Amino acid sequence: MKTAIIIFLAALAASMPALADEAAATAGPSDERSALDAEVQGLRREVVDLNRDLFMLEEDLLFPASTQVAVFVSMDVGTFFALDSVQLKVDDKEVSNYLYTDREQDALKRGGVQRLWLGNLKAGEHEVTAFFTGKGPHERDYKRGTTLKVEKGVGAKYVELKISDKVSQLQPEFVVRVWE
Amino acid sequence: MQTRPHRRGARSRLAFAGVLAAIGLAASAAEGPSAPDFALASTSGSNYRLSEYRGEVVALVFWASWCGDCRRELERFERLRRTYGNVGFVVLGVNLDQEPARASALAGAAGIGFPILLDSAKDVSKTYRADDLPLIVLIDRHGEIRARHQALDEREERGLLVDLRDLIDE
Repeated sequence: MKTAIIIFLAALAASMPALADEAAATAGPSDERSALDAEVQGLRREVVDLNRDLFMLEEDLLFPASTQVAVFVSMDVGTFFALDSVQLKVDDKEVSNYLYTDREQDALKRGGVQRLWLGNLKAGEHEVTAFFTGKGPHERDYKRGTTLKVEKGVGAKYVELKISDKVSQLQPEFVVRVWE
Repeated sequence: MQTRPHRRGARSRLAFAGVLAAIGLAASAAEGPSAPDFALASTSGSNYRLSEYRGEVVALVFWASWCGDCRRELERFERLRRTYGNVGFVVLGVNLDQEPARASALAGAAGIGFPILLDSAKDVSKTYRADDLPLIVLIDRHGEIRARHQALDEREERGLLVDLRDLIDE
């Protein structure tokens, strides 16, 4: 029994350098693999950056600052109003009719801002009208419209449609404002 | 001196990875057209947007209350939803009736648990070319249309199950 153990230990000792070599050999390809992974990650990052630059270039080309108008929707609290849809008209022409899912309503309630429409308008006065549809206080169907005259100048124009709670009257409030 | 073969190996692997990526891109391009996005109101009052189900396998079932074969397909997809619902399979029924009450009544009677979306304006059904009902459109996790089926017989149902399991396994 003793000799068997000695022979086993001797064999184990003899195989140690071979195991060490094998370990060294496997460490090489794994290093190489991690270097390759880093290279691929770098390439992926470059592609993402390139994609972002292309997107911005495309927006600059399609919607130059001189004519660009963007309309955003935001919500503050939203206790008295559950948003279902927003219809947007510019100079009496419908440019967007957007239905909100539960997830989108939730995102707006948590402070998200949605770009509802991005378009081009020539310099001068324009009328922006928004119709909000949804459920108001006591689960009643609720529809409200709000209008704003926008003076389009040289630079880009940003319009915000904000839904907030008017606590004093227990009613929702719809505000349109232009970002300076 | 020892770094050269390594670098060469790395380059060849990178090239190989590039070729694989190119093949992957070509394969994904060949997989099918991307499913047009839409948002519709449902019989429950909530709105649904297709793109919110990216990452899951989606079956769109276009149907109407006047279509004889549609009820069977609704029941079939309700069974499939119960079986595969917890592994990322979503069913959305798209109803073409003019009156939403009819859709609700039929779906309720058939015990349908998936959302019934109302396309009374028929915009979505036109986009998906739902000329003959029922129409089933299978969409993969990347938002690509992978299969279209009409009313299914037993053999076609087996084909659909193969398609569905493949999509779920991807």
